[in-house]
Amino acid sequence: MNGLRLNLSQELPIPLDVDFDCAAGEVLALVGPSGSGKTTILRAIAGTYKPEHGFVSVGGKVWLDAAADLFIPSHNRSVGMVFQSYALFPHMNALENVAAALGHLPRDERNQRALELLDRVNLTGLEKRRPGSLSGGQQQRIAVARALARDPAVLLLDEPFSAVDRATRQRLYREIADLHSSLSMPVVLVTHDLDEAMMLADRVAIVHRGSLLQIGVPSDVVLKPVSAGVARLLDMRNIFNARVVEHDQEHQITYLDWHGLKLEAGLNLKSPCGDDVSWVVPDGYVVLHRRDRPSRGEHENPVPGTIGSLVAIGQVAQLTLIPDHEPSLPIHFSIPFHVASRNGIDVGVEAVVSLLAEGIHTMHLQVDMEE
Amino acid sequence: MAHFVHYKNNLAVKNVRNLCLSLILMLLVLPTQVQPAQAPIIAAASDLQFALTDIAALFQSQTGQSVKLSFGSSGNFARQIRQGAPFDIYFSADESYVLKLFRDGLTRDPGTLYGTGRVVIFAPHNSTLRVDGSLDGLRRLLTTDQVTRFAIANPEHAPYGRRALELLRHFGLWSEIAQHLVIGENISQAAQFATSTSAQGGIIAYSLALSPKVSTLGSYALIPEKSHSTLRQRMVLLNDAGAVAEQFYAFVQRDDVRAIFRQYGFTLPSSNN
Amino acid sequence: MDWTALWLSLRLSTITILLLLPIGITCGRLLAYRDFRGKGFVEAIVALPLVLPPTVVGYYLLVSFGASSPLGQVWQNIFDHSLVFSFEGLLFASIIFNLPFAIQPMQRGFESIPADIRDAAACCGMSPWTVLTKVELPLAWPGILTAMVLSFAHTLGEFGIVLMVGGSIPGETRTIAISIYDRVQAFDNAAAAQMSALLLVLSLVVIALVFTLSRRAGQSYN
Repeated sequence: MNGLRLNLSQELPIPLDVDFDCAAGEVLALVGPSGSGKTTILRAIAGTYKPEHGFVSVGGKVWLDAAADLFIPSHNRSVGMVFQSYALFPHMNALENVAAALGHLPRDERNQRALELLDRVNLTGLEKRRPGSLSGGQQQRIAVARALARDPAVLLLDEPFSAVDRATRQRLYREIADLHSSLSMPVVLVTHDLDEAMMLADRVAIVHRGSLLQIGVPSDVVLKPVSAGVARLLDMRNIFNARVVEHDQEHQITYLDWHGLKLEAGLNLKSPCGDDVSWVVPDGYVVLHRRDRPSRGEHENPVPGTIGSLVAIGQVAQLTLIPDHEPSLPIHFSIPFHVASRNGIDVGVEAVVSLLAEGIHTMHLQVDMEE
Repeated sequence: MAHFVHYKNNLAVKNVRNLCLSLILMLLVLPTQVQPAQAPIIAAASDLQFALTDIAALFQSQTGQSVKLSFGSSGNFARQIRQGAPFDIYFSADESYVLKLFRDGLTRDPGTLYGTGRVVIFAPHNSTLRVDGSLDGLRRLLTTDQVTRFAIANPEHAPYGRRALELLRHFGLWSEIAQHLVIGENISQAAQFATSTSAQGGIIAYSLALSPKVSTLGSYALIPEKSHSTLRQRMVLLNDAGAVAEQFYAFVQRDDVRAIFRQYGFTLPSSNN
Repeated sequence: MDWTALWLSLRLSTITILLLLPIGITCGRLLAYRDFRGKGFVEAIVALPLVLPPTVVGYYLLVSFGASSPLGQVWQNIFDHSLVFSFEGLLFASIIFNLPFAIQPMQRGFESIPADIRDAAACCGMSPWTVLTKVELPLAWPGILTAMVLSFAHTLGEFGIVLMVGGSIPGETRTIAISIYDRVQAFDNAAAAQMSALLLVLSLVVIALVFTLSRRAGQSYN
C-alpha cells in the first residue's frame, strides 16, 4: 500500500475529524475556507503538529498512532512539503536550499542531485542566487525542488499559488500538471480556491471546521454536493427548498414542487414523496432563453422572470433572474457579455431561464436555506 | 523498531546538551585550587593611603617581595573579614575592631599597636573657612549661615568619622552642622570631598593632610586630642596569613620603618606597647 | 595604569560571555519558541537586573552566596576559600546581572526566525541539532552577537555589584572600574584619567559594534 492513510480526531485546541486515503500518484485537494483546519491536517501528515488522537501511515510505514503512543518526528518522515510562504532558508542560495534536503545522500552526490532538481523545475542558472533576490514564482519552484529532493513518500502543498500573481499562477498550474504525471507518490494540496482544486486534483475533499464534509472526484462534488452546507462552501448560490411530489421510475424523473412551480429533476429515491428537500443547481446549468437563437433546452424547467441585476466581470455578465412565481428567490447565472448586449438583456427586462434537469440535485432539507 | 520520541522532548534534549556544555566550560575556566605563592593582601584603613604605600615600596626595594594594598574604612574591612575575605594583614584605625576579631577567633593574636592618629580641620584654597584648632572659623561660618557642605567620614564604620562626630559635639557644633554634612565612605573619600571646591572643608586624617598631594590643595589645623576619643591604631595577622605576610608584619615594626609612620603624623606607641 | 585590573576586567568579561553563550541560547530559544503559563513572569525575572539598583542585586547576591549561606559554605568546604571576595564569586554575580543583556537580544534573534522555516528544516530531514546549527544559529546570529557584545561591555563597566560582592582585592576582584575609584581616593588623578579614557574608548567601540550589528540584523536577508 503505497499511499497515504489518515485518520485524525481531536477537540481542542483545534477541532479535527477527518478520515481519508490518497493513493500513490493521486492528487487530493483539501478545499475549505480559511481556518477550516486544512493546514493543520497537512502539518499532522508532515509531523510538525501532533494531534490528540489519530493515525497516519504512508507507504506502509506508520508515522503516527496516538493510541499506541507512536509519533515519528518530521525529520524522520520521508515527507516533502511546500509551505504557503515557501519557507526558504534566507541565508542559503537556491542550490544550498535544495541540498539542505539531501542529507540522506553522500556529500559528493548532493550538489549534482540539487542541480538536477533545479533543472527539473526550470531554474538552471539561478543556483547561486539567494531567495531574497528572486521572484515569487522562482521562489516557489525552489520550494518544490526542495520538497522533491527528499524523494518523499508523500508530497504536501500548502496553498502554493496564493502568493503568486495570476499570470504566473497559470504558468505554474501547467508546470505542476506536467510534474504530476511523473510523480509516483500521493500528493495532498491545500487550497481555498475551488477552481484551482478542480483544475489540478484527481479528487477533492471539502473541509470545514476541521471536519471532512465530502470527498470525491471534482465533477461529483460540484454536481452532487452532499448537503446544502457543502453547496454553500462551494460557493453555489442557487440553493433552494422544494417538496418531492412524485418519483417517475420509468422515465428516471423526480418531480419537485418549488413554491408552486413544477420542476423535473434527475431521479433520486432517497427522499420519499411528500418530503421537503433542499436542492441546488449550478450556475452553468441555468440557460437563458435567447431571442436570437432559441434552443431545444428551453422546454426544460422554464422559469419566467425579470432580470434583477447584471454585473460585468471581464467578458462575462453575471446575472440574477427574479422568478415571477417567487420574487424573493433570485436565480444566479452567467452568460458571455456579448450575448447579453445582443439580446438586450439588462436590469428590469423580462426573460426566461431553463434549469437543466440533470443539474438539479436534491439534498437533505436545510430549513433556513432560503432566508 | 519505531523511534519513540515525543516532539516536546527535542527541546529538552537540546537543553540538557547545552547545560552539559556550560558545566564543562565552567570547569575548564575556573582556576585550579593550588594557590601559587601570591603577594599577601593587606586591608588598610584609608588614613594609611600614603604612609603604607611608601612602606610597601620600601619593603619591595629591600626584600624584592611585593604586597597588595587595599584601602577602605576599618569597619568595612572588619565586616568583609568576617565574611571570609582573603586578607592576610589588617591595619585598623580603631583597635576595637581588631580586638573583636581576635575575640571571635579570626586572628592569631590581639595584634600590635602601630600608632595613634590625629585629626585636622581642612579647608581648600579659596574657601570661606578659616581653619584653627578650636574651630572658631567654622563656628563663625555656621552662625553667618555660610556653611553649605562640610565633609566627614561615615561615623558608622570609619573611625575618623566617629571622631569627627565626637569632636563636633564636643565643640557644640554638631546639631547645626549635621544638615550640611557630606559623608565619605572612608576617610580618603572624605578628604576627596573636603579638598573639592564644592565644600567649605572637612575633618580629615592628619596623615592624609601631611601628604603633598593633599597639603597643596588647601590649609589645615590640628584638632586637640582631648576633643575626641583616642585613635589607637592596631594591626594584626589574620588566620591564613602566609610567610611573606609575616615578613611584612615584622618589617613594619622595625624602627626605621616606624619612622615613616611618625613622618605621617602618627604618634608612635612606647616600645613596651 | 593598573594593568592587573585591566587584565582582570577583560578576563571577567570574556569568561562571562563564554558561559552566557550556552545559557543565553538555551533560555532565549525557550522563551522565543514556547508559550507557557507564567512565561511573562519568567521574562520579568530575567529583566529584573535591568531595573533593580545594583545595590539591591548585590545585597541579594551576598545573601545567596555569602559566607553564611549554604552555597557559600559548600564552596568554602570544597575550595578552601570563600565564594564572595573571589574571582569566581564575581563570575557568578556577573552571569546573573548580565542575564537580561544576554537573553533578551538572543530571544529577539530567535523570535525573528519564522516558525515555518524551522518546520521546513525538519521536513527537509534535518535533525533538531542540525536545524539549530545550520538554520537557527546563522539566522539568529546578529541577536546572539549583540547579546555577547552588550554583556561584555556591561561587565567591563559594572561597579556597585562588583564592589559589594568582590570587595576591592587587587589581582582578584579589583576590576578596572574599581581601580579608577581607588585611584581617585588615593588622589592619583593621573592614573584615574588614563584608565577612564581607556574605558571610554573601549565603550565607544562596543557601542559602535552593537549599532552596526543591529542594523545588519534589521536588514536580514533582503
